[in-house]
Amino acid sequence: MRHNYRNWPILLVLGIFSTPLLIMLVFQVVDSFTLKQPGSLIPSGFTLEHFRFLWEELDTGRAGIWRVTLNTFIFATTTATVVTAIALTAGYALSRLNFPARGFFLAGLIVLHAFPTVTLIIAIFLILQILGLYDTLIGVIIVKTALELPFGIWIMKGFYDTVPWEIEMAGVQDGASRLRVWWQLVLPQVQPGLMAILIFSFLSGWSEFILPLVLAPGSDAQVLATYMQALILDDTKADFDLFKAVGLFYALPVVVIYVIFQNKLMNIYGGGSKG
Amino acid sequence: MKRMNWLGLGFLAPALLVIALFFLAPVIMTGFFAFTNMSTATGITGGDYMLNKSALRALGDAGLPDATLEKLEDAGYAVDEKGLAALAAQIDQETADEFARLHGGESFATRRDVERALKDLRQNRIRKTRDRKAAAELFKRSVLNERFGTEAEFRAALTAGGIAPRDHDQITAQAYTGWVWTTENVELLFTLPSTWRYAANTAIYVAFTLSFNVGFGLFLAISTFYLPAAQAATFRAIWFLPRILPPVLYVLMWKWFTWDTGFLSTVTGWFGMSPKNWMLDSPTHAWTTIVLINGFVGASMGMILFASAIRAIPASMLHASEVDGANRWQQVRYIILPQLRWPILFTTAYQTLSLLTSFEYILLATDGGPGRATEVWALAAYHTALNNYGGNLQYGLGAAFALVLVIIGILASLFYLRLFNFRQLVGKPLIEG
Repeated sequence: MRHNYRNWPILLVLGIFSTPLLIMLVFQVVDSFTLKQPGSLIPSGFTLEHFRFLWEELDTGRAGIWRVTLNTFIFATTTATVVTAIALTAGYALSRLNFPARGFFLAGLIVLHAFPTVTLIIAIFLILQILGLYDTLIGVIIVKTALELPFGIWIMKGFYDTVPWEIEMAGVQDGASRLRVWWQLVLPQVQPGLMAILIFSFLSGWSEFILPLVLAPGSDAQVLATYMQALILDDTKADFDLFKAVGLFYALPVVVIYVIFQNKLMNIYGGGSKG
Repeated sequence: MKRMNWLGLGFLAPALLVIALFFLAPVIMTGFFAFTNMSTATGITGGDYMLNKSALRALGDAGLPDATLEKLEDAGYAVDEKGLAALAAQIDQETADEFARLHGGESFATRRDVERALKDLRQNRIRKTRDRKAAAELFKRSVLNERFGTEAEFRAALTAGGIAPRDHDQITAQAYTGWVWTTENVELLFTLPSTWRYAANTAIYVAFTLSFNVGFGLFLAISTFYLPAAQAATFRAIWFLPRILPPVLYVLMWKWFTWDTGFLSTVTGWFGMSPKNWMLDSPTHAWTTIVLINGFVGASMGMILFASAIRAIPASMLHASEVDGANRWQQVRYIILPQLRWPILFTTAYQTLSLLTSFEYILLATDGGPGRATEVWALAAYHTALNNYGGNLQYGLGAAFALVLVIIGILASLFYLRLFNFRQLVGKPLIEG
């Protein structure tokens, strides 16, 4: 079917539509490393000056980049680990075990999965204030974990559903406890799912902007997203080359993960979590 | 086999706990908060009782008798422990001791009386008039501008000040600095003209972005389907990037593209146009940018879902159509599109809800500007409750804004549950206990 038609019209239209995006992406990288005359788009020389934020303090009165990067890393890894751990057990329970009100929990999970979490931000803000977790990294981590969970459990349940139940049946027949069957027989089967959720929640935590912005605005709990946005807002004369260098630094782990796990990611995002 | 039940619930318990605390509780609490007047001024955890000048004025307007107001303002002077301690700190301990010996426990009606008493001290007269005035002020006992931790304390102070008991309730209510229950927020939502504006903005935003997402997602999925695998993969990878990049960086790229020092202005500058901010110079441009920013992200979801649906079409059908002489347009119209009905419906349903409530990209790009032109409902909730220029954050009103979205969210989620027939997914587990 592909050979009976000419391809160049399609390529042309696709190319035109992709041009703005390509321009943005190319200059995002090029501008981070080059000097330019004002009013020109053509680079006139190589420089690492835009990356000065890595070795000298920008006079923003904010925490330094490495502290912020560490925060972001702690935030993303902790969230990813906790979400994955909880989803591993909860997904198994919903997929395989029979317990009271199972249908209710499952329907609830689907509703939560579709529910737009960002509407809850005001109530969460007030709850964290009441609990005394406002403006702490741990508070943001807990909230992010809770909001990410329905999606994680849903994906994990899907992976458990594909494991042939003969495996478990055999284990149970041989006299192993259900717990041991899960740990020794089923878990190795769902390792791709485990990886998928780890990666997905890590990326989601790494990119998160609204939660840290609202729930931890202080300088102790800054993450790269809020750091970068504050930098953009602070500057009276927009120094886009600096912003782009910060952005490139920020996006580096994302791009690396994307390059390695591209196909896997496309499948997960097919389930969709943002607009 | 009873044990299985407990294993299942045990496995579920951590998830239930976290979700209940930080997912379900916020849903319910939004409902509560929406009916309070919580704000920065009232605080969150509760309040004190304090009367100040403006509260007094409000009470006067509300018809409290002038005599009572005067009493509230000037409850007289009393020589008590607190005042004496302050006096000792300000002058010295001996003066305070002597004053206590002569006048301890007495009350004076006016400041002049107190000053006279201070002047008449035998050993430790306060000579300077200014010092006496300041010292006398230390003994002023008024309900005004004093903080009371509990209602009982405040009422006791009113009684001590000789305020008629029938006025107590009114004064106490006015003096309370904490939040109270109210339905004002809901009334405000219906009466403020700006809320209708936000609703209209939201409708514009959802309609245009959704059309772009679905339309362009379809275009991407179908066009890449006809390309050789390598080219198709390249385009899909490019169009997937906006979704995977952190929103702050993604919006930064758009800012560079549209702002007055950025790409568009530089290029138009070559043709003699003066640089301008293409994102914020007019509402139309702002909306265009917003729709494109969201659309470039949203299109990839449609692209992925539609592409996998197209791949599921049996190749024989497509071959057959070509043998029958169908051109490409006919192939798309009569074979591919009918197969995409459910994915399109799903994407539309899912994205309607998420666009209705999302404000991240708008917040980052235009922050509702220029003016309030791109302020959508969810962003208005955020601005009202969590970030406004006035400084007084109105949590209650913001929660009322959010409550509308929460209710829509719940209803829509339940509706999707029916629409996409999730009952089969809720079927019995393969191995049951």
